[in-house]
Amino acid sequence: MERRKFLGFGIFAAAAAFVPASLIAEDYRKTKPDAWTAHTVEDAIAKLYGTSKTIEQGVTLTAPDVAANGGAVPVDFQSDIAAKSVAVFQNANPESAVCVFTLNENSVIDYSIKMKMKQSGTITIVVEGRDGKLYSAKKAINVALGGCEG
Amino acid sequence: MEIKAKLKDGIVSVKAMAKHPMLTYDVAKKQGVEANFITHINATVNNKVVLDMSTSQFLSKNPIFKFSFKGAAVGDTITMTWVDLLGNTETSDSVIK
Repeated sequence: MERRKFLGFGIFAAAAAFVPASLIAEDYRKTKPDAWTAHTVEDAIAKLYGTSKTIEQGVTLTAPDVAANGGAVPVDFQSDIAAKSVAVFQNANPESAVCVFTLNENSVIDYSIKMKMKQSGTITIVVEGRDGKLYSAKKAINVALGGCEG
Repeated sequence: MEIKAKLKDGIVSVKAMAKHPMLTYDVAKKQGVEANFITHINATVNNKVVLDMSTSQFLSKNPIFKFSFKGAAVGDTITMTWVDLLGNTETSDSVIK
């Protein structure tokens, strides 16, 4: 093999080996599989964080009181808490967990997602602070048209 | 994946949409197909992770989401990748404005 091609191949191989590690920091579906199959919000929080005790402060949750389309309910949440992760739960669907964000020093807790809700229910946002405490915000939403059929 | 990233006052805000049916287990059962939904989304800028999100079947179909982060400049490239339950992936990038 020519030297130039060989060197080029080496760089490519190094890049390919490096990428997967940087792409997935923590896959909560693999590290905490039980949290995704839990049927109640308390159970899901407990499976994810070890405790379901949360402090209801420091987190701002914005969502409509009445969602016309349960297939895409807009949910916004912000917080200034120095945090390790943020998780979203609801009690309208068969399982509770919606998504978990892993944070690092570049993260700003200012997220907006669209989620499905099969029926009316309550959305819970949990922020895992660097101090080890769990902070939360809740909001009840009336869903006019269930959205798990989408 | 469509990505719009804008820098303002030191914070980059990103709006992204992934094209995916997000088939829940219930719907998939009715249709007699295999459930499939995005399970992980991540974004990097200059090899630093700026979004790391594990997701379930309850994000909307073609999920739209917004997030913010610090520590990037105008002209940097943001690269986003999703992985679904069946192992398909899609990677897209966009330049921060």
